[in-house]
Amino acid sequence: MKEFFLKISNNEIYQRLFKNPFSYVAGATLLAFFNVLTFVFTGNGWGVTGAFANWAVWTLQPLGLDVSTWPSFASEAAQKTLAGGFLSDGVSVRNLGIILGALLATLLASQFKIKKIKSVRQVVAATVGGLMMGYGARLASGCNIGALFTGTANLSVSGWVFAATLLLGAYIGSKILKKYLM
Amino acid sequence: MSEKTATKRKPKSSQIPFALILLVGLIFFGNYLFTKSPNLVIALILGLAFGYILQRSRFCFTAGFRDPWLTGSTSITRAVILAIALATIGFFFIKYKAFLAGAEVIPGNAHFVNPIGISLLVGGVMFGIGMVIAGGCASGTLMRVGEGFQMQIISLIFFVLGSLWGVHDLPFWNSLSKDAPRIFLPDYFGWYGALAVQFALLGAAYFVAIWWQKKKMGSIE
Amino acid sequence: MKEYRLDCLGEACPIPLMKTEKKMMDLQVGDMLIVMIDHSCAMKNVPEWARTQGHNVDIEEVDDGEWEIFIEKVK
Repeated sequence: MKEFFLKISNNEIYQRLFKNPFSYVAGATLLAFFNVLTFVFTGNGWGVTGAFANWAVWTLQPLGLDVSTWPSFASEAAQKTLAGGFLSDGVSVRNLGIILGALLATLLASQFKIKKIKSVRQVVAATVGGLMMGYGARLASGCNIGALFTGTANLSVSGWVFAATLLLGAYIGSKILKKYLM
Repeated sequence: MSEKTATKRKPKSSQIPFALILLVGLIFFGNYLFTKSPNLVIALILGLAFGYILQRSRFCFTAGFRDPWLTGSTSITRAVILAIALATIGFFFIKYKAFLAGAEVIPGNAHFVNPIGISLLVGGVMFGIGMVIAGGCASGTLMRVGEGFQMQIISLIFFVLGSLWGVHDLPFWNSLSKDAPRIFLPDYFGWYGALAVQFALLGAAYFVAIWWQKKKMGSIE
Repeated sequence: MKEYRLDCLGEACPIPLMKTEKKMMDLQVGDMLIVMIDHSCAMKNVPEWARTQGHNVDIEEVDDGEWEIFIEKVK
C-alpha cells in the first residue's frame, strides 16, 4: 500500500498535475477567474479580512468582551453575523477553506512539514506584523484581496490609492526588515 | 553543472493517504454545511479553490509589492496586474449588466468602493509595513497556516486581534476622514470610458514594472 | 571551486532570498552555493532570482517540503 502511493507520488503525470508549481501567470488567471465566480455566486467579490474582527469577538466574548456599544457592530447585518457564529458566516468558512485548500495542495504534493519557529526574531516579526496588518486592514476596509484585488477590479479609485500606499509601506517594511530582522 | 554534494535523501514517503483522509473529511464537512445553507458549501468550495491556487502557484501579493524594493524583480507584480486586469473584465460585465437592468445600487459598490481619506492612507501604509515584516498578507498568512508554518499561526492570531483593535478605533479615524470621497470610475468617465481609464492605468503600471526590473536587474527573464 | 552551504531552514520569505543575495557576493566565479530551504515560496523565488542574475541553478527536493538549491556563480 505504501509503495503504491509512493509510486503515484513519483509518477510524472501526477507530479505535473498535483505537484509542480504553476507559473505566476497561471496563478493570476485562476485567481481572477475564481474572484469573478465569487462575485457571481455571493453578490460580492473576494474579501478576506472583513471576518477577522468577528473571529476576535467570537473568541473573546466568553471572556467578557462586550461589543454591543461599538458602532461598527451596530448594524443589523453585523449583529446577525455575530449571533450566527463562525460556521454560519460565509466569509469565515471561505477563509477556513483557504487554509484547508492549501493544506490539501501540500499533502497532494507530499510536501507538508510543520515549520517550527526558529527564533525570537520570528515571533516578534509575526506579532508586530500581524497587529499592523489587522489594524491597517480595518482602516483601509480590506487587505491585498478586498481593498486591492477586488477593489480595483470593482473600478474603484480607492483600490489604486491603496496600491500606492502599499508600495510605500512595503518600501518602509523592507528597510526595517534589512536593518532589524535579518 | 559541476558535481555537487546533495544531502543524502531520506527514504521519501507519500502523503497522498493524508490528502485522501482530508478529502473525505471535507465531504462530511460540506455535507454538514449544506444542512445549514447551500451558500456555505459554495463558500467552502471557493475557499478551497483559492487556497489550492495560492499554494500551487506560490502566489504572494506581498512579494508583488516587496520584491521590487528588495531585488528589483517585478515578475509577481506583473502577475498581480494581470489578475486585476482579468478580474476587471468579469466584474465589468456583472456590474454593467446590473446597471442596464436598472439596479439602484451597482453590485459590489457598497463593499468595495471605499472612501479615500486619511484612514485609507494610514491603513494602507500600516498594512504594507506589516505584511513585509510578517512575511505574508491575509491570504498568504492563511495559505501558510495550511502549509504548516507556526510563525504564520502567530501572525494570524495577532492579525485577528489587530482587526478588533482597528474596529475599536474606527470611529476616531472616520471622524478624521469625514468628507472622504468614494470614487467609482464609471460615475466620472461613463462605463466604457472607465474601462479605458482602468486599462490605461493597468498598462502604465505594467510598463513601469518592466522598466523597473530592467533597470534594477538588467533583464526581465 | 569552493562549496558553501547556507542554512535557511525555518526562515520565511524574503529572508532566504536576501541571505542568498548577500552570500553570492562573497563567492568567486565557479564557486557553488547550496541554499537549504523549507519555505515553499522560496523554492520558487530564490531560483528565479539566481537565473535572472545569469547563474546556473538546480533544485533538489531532499525531504518532504525541504529543498536544496544549487547555485553556481558564473559571472
